[in-house]
Amino acid sequence: MEVSIHNLILGFGTVFTISNFSYAFLGCLIGTMVGVLPGVGPLAGISMLLPTTFGLEPTSAIILLAGIYYGAMYGGSTTSILMRIPGEAASVMTCIDGYAMARKGRAGPALAIAAIGSYVAGTISVVGLMFLAPPLARFALGFGPPEYFSLLLCGFVVLSYMTGGSVIKNLSMIVLGLMLGMIGIDQMSGYFRFSYGSVALGDGLGVVPVAVGLFGVSEILATAGVSGKREVLKPRLKDLLPSREELKDSVGPVGRGTVLGFLIGIIPGSAHIISTFVSYAIERRVSKHPDRFGTGAIEGVAGPESANNAASTGALVPMLALGVPTGPIPAVLLAALMVHGITPGPLFIKEQPVVFWGLIASMYIGNLVLLLLNLPMVSLFVNFLRIPYRFLYPTILMFCVVGVYAVNSSMSDVWIMAVMGALGYVLRKMDFETAPIVLGVVLAPIIEFSFRQALAMSNGVYAIFVERPISVAFLILTLIMLLLSLKPLIVKKRDWRNRLTEAEKEC
Amino acid sequence: MAEETRPSKKPEKRIRIDTAGGALLLLLGLYVTWERRVLPLGTAQNPGPGYFPLLLAILLIIFGVILILRGKVSRPFNPIPWSEASHAIPILACCVFVALFMERIGYRISLFLVLGFLLGIIERVNVWVALALTLFLSMGSFWLFDTLLRVPLPRGWWGF
Repeated sequence: MEVSIHNLILGFGTVFTISNFSYAFLGCLIGTMVGVLPGVGPLAGISMLLPTTFGLEPTSAIILLAGIYYGAMYGGSTTSILMRIPGEAASVMTCIDGYAMARKGRAGPALAIAAIGSYVAGTISVVGLMFLAPPLARFALGFGPPEYFSLLLCGFVVLSYMTGGSVIKNLSMIVLGLMLGMIGIDQMSGYFRFSYGSVALGDGLGVVPVAVGLFGVSEILATAGVSGKREVLKPRLKDLLPSREELKDSVGPVGRGTVLGFLIGIIPGSAHIISTFVSYAIERRVSKHPDRFGTGAIEGVAGPESANNAASTGALVPMLALGVPTGPIPAVLLAALMVHGITPGPLFIKEQPVVFWGLIASMYIGNLVLLLLNLPMVSLFVNFLRIPYRFLYPTILMFCVVGVYAVNSSMSDVWIMAVMGALGYVLRKMDFETAPIVLGVVLAPIIEFSFRQALAMSNGVYAIFVERPISVAFLILTLIMLLLSLKPLIVKKRDWRNRLTEAEKEC
Repeated sequence: MAEETRPSKKPEKRIRIDTAGGALLLLLGLYVTWERRVLPLGTAQNPGPGYFPLLLAILLIIFGVILILRGKVSRPFNPIPWSEASHAIPILACCVFVALFMERIGYRISLFLVLGFLLGIIERVNVWVALALTLFLSMGSFWLFDTLLRVPLPRGWWGF
């Protein structure tokens, strides 16, 4: 299906109904709040609110949930700039120069540039999504089980390399996720695996209780007892407008951040976080005055903020075109679509044009809404930061319980959430990344099914994986990534992944 | 003063995070290997339902062993501070309470008890503020999700 005026009219026609426009607006508003509040990331936010979309049309549901996703990217910058606490992980780099600008009385321009950069990047990357997803889906129509298996294997290795921290630890978390995804009925033989006679476990672990447990509950467990009021710098509305020089300095970083963010977004891993780090490093390198970075350089805000918004849109490309999520948030969005009876994959755009083009159009509208929402209402959002966490976390816990229970009206899911919360808490203490677990749970049935189906196709001959050109290309890429991840064992030099981990810890 | 500066004779024997993490993965891998025995393995050419879990368990064991062997270079495992544990344990207990009783006593009452416990006892919020917030959140969230958004929430034995 080509990008045509007809499709865009179809999309905008879908969004320009009172209900869908309201859902796009509501999603952006909730997303901004989710982004502003530290401790409630977009993943937990989307998972908790997923049940509220069950009564909606699939198009309205995905418009609302996607609004929360990219809205959170806008909101995250506010907390970073005004408090030096990243509202969500992708705003870590904004803390450095954003907060330094705020200390100098330039909080307003920093917030404004973050919002404008996010708008430009968000809008341009939707154009990228619009042009890239349909041909990619057409290309993927030729994928059979061997290609899917190799693609997922490659995706897992890239994910473990790109997530930062220890590759072995990341790989082990993917394997743990895949193992959890094995629980339940085996699609090919009908055997119950690791369900211990429980009907609920026979259905397998749902992505929502796993995600809410690992990201919502474990975050509450880790932060509820941490005391300490942090200063919130309040910007004045009249100071919001950036100077001509600040605008001029931001043009390049916004452009570079957009392209970079979108491309990194397509790659598996914590794309929206990595893109901010790479963008910051590039801006510092190309700057004529790199010494200004860290002391309040507007480029250090404009680049990363544009990059994380572009990356969040880029991450939707493989999810919508291939049905393969590259991170935990697209995985939950995929689960949300499946709840509504829609399976993203190569046929998704062709079979569900209203949903796809409605989503595209809603993202154009949503980005504009966010720009208009963020600038004048920043003082209002700042007030959320004044709510003491001791009042906030019981409320978040309540939303976690409702969100998880409502998916299947099952108490087993609440149990799974509690167990995953405790597991996530323990894993955090041991410096394990928990995001790969969610992806493993979602993709476990697909990778196993593809593997066994491929072997069934070839009468058990493993050569099928290297005989088909697309499959072998993915396997070669997997090998390269594995060799790259062995590099730190040989060369004792800090790479970008070490620096990313350090930056995250500093903030 | 001299005592303070005297170096310790015994080397520090604190457990390292990677050693602990590796041991956890190793145990899990061994457990899955044992539990898998009831599932048909199939053959390499025609894998059965136990094939992939065994493959994953072996990978987990390998990663666990690597982490244990490389554990020395990781940081020591910091004991969890009491301020954190004193919150984490009751919060987890609240999750278990909800999982056990929400369908029996209903959403509103169980959430009222949990929120009241967290706000009034754990956080020591003023009793009237805690009561007002607890009532507002438990009843308000029921109204929002169950009544307005038609998400069915449990009502308990007595229909409340």
